[in-house]
Amino acid sequence: MNRVRAIALTPGAAVIVVLFLIPLAITCAYSALTRGAYFGLGPPWTADNYRRLADPLYGMVFLRSFALAAASTAICFLLGFPLAVFIARSGRRKNLYLHLVILPFWTSQLVRIYAWMFLLRETGLANGILQALGIIRAPLPLLYNDGAVLLGLVYAHLPFMVLPLYAALERLDPNLLEASADLGARPWTTLSRVMLPLAAPGIRAGAVLVFVPCLGAFLVPDLLGGGKSIMIGTVIQNQFTTARDWPFGAAMSLVVMVIVLVLLWVGAGRRGEDLL
Amino acid sequence: MTRRSLLLAAAGAAGCGGNRARRLNVFNWSEYVAPETISNFEREFRVRVRYATYESAEEMLAKASTGNSGWDVVFPSNSYIQPMASAGLLARLDHKRLPNLAELEPFFQSPPWDASLSWSVPYMHSSTGIVYDASVSPPPVGWRDFLSERFRGRVTMLDDPNEVIGACLKQLGYSLNSCDPAQLAQARNLALEQKRHLRAYLNAEVREQLVAGDVLMAQLWATTAQIGIDARPSLTYVYPIEGFALYADCAVILRESDRVELAHEFINYLLRPQVSARIAAAMRTATPSAGARRLLPPSLRNNPTLYPPPETLARGEWFTALPPAGQRLRDRIWTEIKTA
Amino acid sequence: MKRALALYAVAAYAFLHAPLLILAAFSFNRSRYTVWTSFSLDWYRAAFRDHQLREGAWNSILIAVTATTISTAVGALFAYGLWKRRSRWLSASLYLSLITPEIVTGVSLLAFYQWIFQFWRLHLGMCTVVFAHVSFCIAYVVLVVAARLRGFDPGLEDAALDLGATEWGIFWHVVLPYLKPGILAAALLAFTVSIDDYVITSLVAGVDSQTLPMVIYAMARRGVNPVVNAVSSVIVFGLGAMILISERLRAS
Repeated sequence: MNRVRAIALTPGAAVIVVLFLIPLAITCAYSALTRGAYFGLGPPWTADNYRRLADPLYGMVFLRSFALAAASTAICFLLGFPLAVFIARSGRRKNLYLHLVILPFWTSQLVRIYAWMFLLRETGLANGILQALGIIRAPLPLLYNDGAVLLGLVYAHLPFMVLPLYAALERLDPNLLEASADLGARPWTTLSRVMLPLAAPGIRAGAVLVFVPCLGAFLVPDLLGGGKSIMIGTVIQNQFTTARDWPFGAAMSLVVMVIVLVLLWVGAGRRGEDLL
Repeated sequence: MTRRSLLLAAAGAAGCGGNRARRLNVFNWSEYVAPETISNFEREFRVRVRYATYESAEEMLAKASTGNSGWDVVFPSNSYIQPMASAGLLARLDHKRLPNLAELEPFFQSPPWDASLSWSVPYMHSSTGIVYDASVSPPPVGWRDFLSERFRGRVTMLDDPNEVIGACLKQLGYSLNSCDPAQLAQARNLALEQKRHLRAYLNAEVREQLVAGDVLMAQLWATTAQIGIDARPSLTYVYPIEGFALYADCAVILRESDRVELAHEFINYLLRPQVSARIAAAMRTATPSAGARRLLPPSLRNNPTLYPPPETLARGEWFTALPPAGQRLRDRIWTEIKTA
Repeated sequence: MKRALALYAVAAYAFLHAPLLILAAFSFNRSRYTVWTSFSLDWYRAAFRDHQLREGAWNSILIAVTATTISTAVGALFAYGLWKRRSRWLSASLYLSLITPEIVTGVSLLAFYQWIFQFWRLHLGMCTVVFAHVSFCIAYVVLVVAARLRGFDPGLEDAALDLGATEWGIFWHVVLPYLKPGILAAALLAFTVSIDDYVITSLVAGVDSQTLPMVIYAMARRGVNPVVNAVSSVIVFGLGAMILISERLRAS
């Protein structure tokens, strides 16, 4: 068994080492360097960038981003789970429904964000319809607030929850569910005691695939939030663009990565299983 | 190998060999050339131009500073010229190959950021001011109007730290490029107060909202504002009374380029009065070329938004490169403003 | 229960598709604003004539197909390899690559390429973009395939061994068929992530490798542009038609 396993692991390991670990090492090196006079970077080596991170300002930004990402993940799960169940149980049409989930996401994410802005603006369609129906008199401020950002994040990441859930639910034996019903369990009990535990790997995968990009998102908060409230992704983005302080940006992203990794490992450790 | 694949391979090789036509790679801001500018250049000089656009100077800088981005001519703003030159990113310009430099206005022949034009050639210039709708009454006169209650939720500012902090500094009577911590702290407090009334921090996308009527007043660049005014004549652009920012985008040749002569020819072509005038008319940019300005139709030549009278211009201040400490302070202030 | 689920699915699909359907509707609008004036195909004509858009679309598809193929093949194998022989540091690296903000991945890859270009005289181009895409797609693939693998009964492998199958035979004839739905889902995910990527691509793209997101971003950044609406409608309806046709063919 070991030979096949070794062959299977090699190309992947090569990709990870060359295209990820080495660039990561370079990022670590960056985080200890100093910002150049106007841009770029170079020696001297310094821990200054990390010291600057101890500022409570950045801690607050991180907590906000964390809360928003957690909320998005939860909502994605609530919305995505029933959909994944539906697709997994739809027999011959499985692939069709799966493709239909993914289809809107083959357009540019920017286009989708602009579609929501188009809908949510004061002179946009949502307000237009509500006003025409007489439900409201003056247009509602649906755009440029946290609600719009949440909507945008959920919309952008729903397929990343549905697909892994589907992959895990697809192999769920319907006989197990039938057996549970035969034994007298109510649908809710079947759901929580049979379905959810069996779908757990998919849930974990989906949660990771949604939470992490949401944490580092900046296009959605910037465009749908009007740039009024900053997330940690935007701060990091700013370091590499407007502020041209690559070392500080590198330090910040490393710290964020470490915190998330610790959280994931703690979460996995409690269940006693490896995350993969 | 089948005969077919051999033929295809030969055709491919011939195609590669035949593509010896001269190439030039130009990286410019978006909406900065007229539709036929590049194709006319290609035809006249028998060159193929790879023309791509960017939305932010940092995007271009990130590529250019690698030293092998593949671009020949880029268009940084004036405040980046000296830093780029000091970092060895730019090729020195050969004025013998740029006879059309004489067409530039006297000021732009020796601008403060590059007195002998050894590195850059001014391309188009603009300013940052206030654009508002006619329904706003009384009309705004300066940055102080952004603190007014009557616009709550219908005003925007640019999503750029230097622009927002600059406007606040000007309102307090300080220099646009100040790095003094006390002055910056005051500017920050002003910006925080302003933020309460703001709808959002928006860049060029606010133009469409102004035209649609969602936004009543915005901090915006003259060029973008003019395009909005064309679409909705009830909009007006005003130069703030407390002072405002000026900037110029300049053409530079990257040192990594191995097509320096062709790049010079391209820049010289852009300096031609007819070409510059055509771009300015089509894209509503303000040309630094006196010769081009003479060729513009009177409505554009004397357009107060793009070419303000000297008394107004005197209130303006050019962006300059900032030292690292100042940059760091401003970035922190920007994060504070955004987090509030 | 089944009816409620189906109703919910309809609502969910409506949520997913509504914004784009509305964009598509307005792409037929003569005016560029929300006010409906008259039916017009002008924006579609403009979109097809725009050679930047055509080139961007071609580059995007080429890059996405290449990157998806490579990352799905390598990633599926990798997930299989990791399944029995758990490697802490490989799993950790995989997670790290997922939780790295895109801007950091882009910048670190740019720095890496810069360092390599000192030894070989190369430029940024399609290859640099494809490798960058593979580097972030592979984590998604492994995650999805591994989730699928968790439900695989190891007893099947042992049974096949007892029956005299080779290691490779077991992988090919026992494990792989079981993995197919997971691999398909993973490939779909990888393709989606690749074709939509803006941040990393814009940093490592060369002079000749403008992708569709880059072109659209530039156009859309300047406000509502119906040409963008037209392009997205073409993509959605074109791909949708392709999928329906392929489903029809498969069912027959």
